[in-house]
Amino acid sequence: MALRIISERLGELGAIYEPQEGINVEALIAGGFLEDTHTAPAKSAKNKTKAPDAANTTQE
Amino acid sequence: MATSTYLSNPVVTVNAVDLSDQCSGATVNQTFAQLSNTAFGDTAMKYTAGLQENSITLDLFWSTAATETYATLKALVGTTTNVTIKGTSGATSATNPLGTLTGGFLAELPVVYTVGELATCSVTFNGGTFAYSES
Repeated sequence: MALRIISERLGELGAIYEPQEGINVEALIAGGFLEDTHTAPAKSAKNKTKAPDAANTTQE
Repeated sequence: MATSTYLSNPVVTVNAVDLSDQCSGATVNQTFAQLSNTAFGDTAMKYTAGLQENSITLDLFWSTAATETYATLKALVGTTTNVTIKGTSGATSATNPLGTLTGGFLAELPVVYTVGELATCSVTFNGGTFAYSES
């Protein structure tokens, strides 16, 4: 399970978090500092919705 | 005599979360039990180190905003975690050592509400190992 940083208090936003020994990862998730990359919206999903628009633009 | 004066630069993390801007005071206690190994023939008490009994107490403002004090501590009560403290935000060095309490237990989360004042909480992480790092 990869975890992404979503609070600057923990580190760089968007960076993958590698917990050190002794860190309570569940508490970080509960506190809103981390999110599971598998449950977060995929960035590729946005690209799919934009693709048809991009095709139309080139035809015009 | 050289001394170290800390005004606003110390860096405090709890469970890897930087709570420096919510912290107004910190107390580090690095303690070893002293076990007597004084024997017949000795003319003075002698001791050797026993188990460590370490703790870090933090005085925090009680912010319930997102990713602040409450969000950091709420799921840590009754568990162990790491707490670090450093004198300044500069690089860790011999003159700016990083103290780390590993496996400190948070037994309680006492919050103080007082009329006309900011809410605060003083939390103590007990036990675990403590060491200073200079690099």
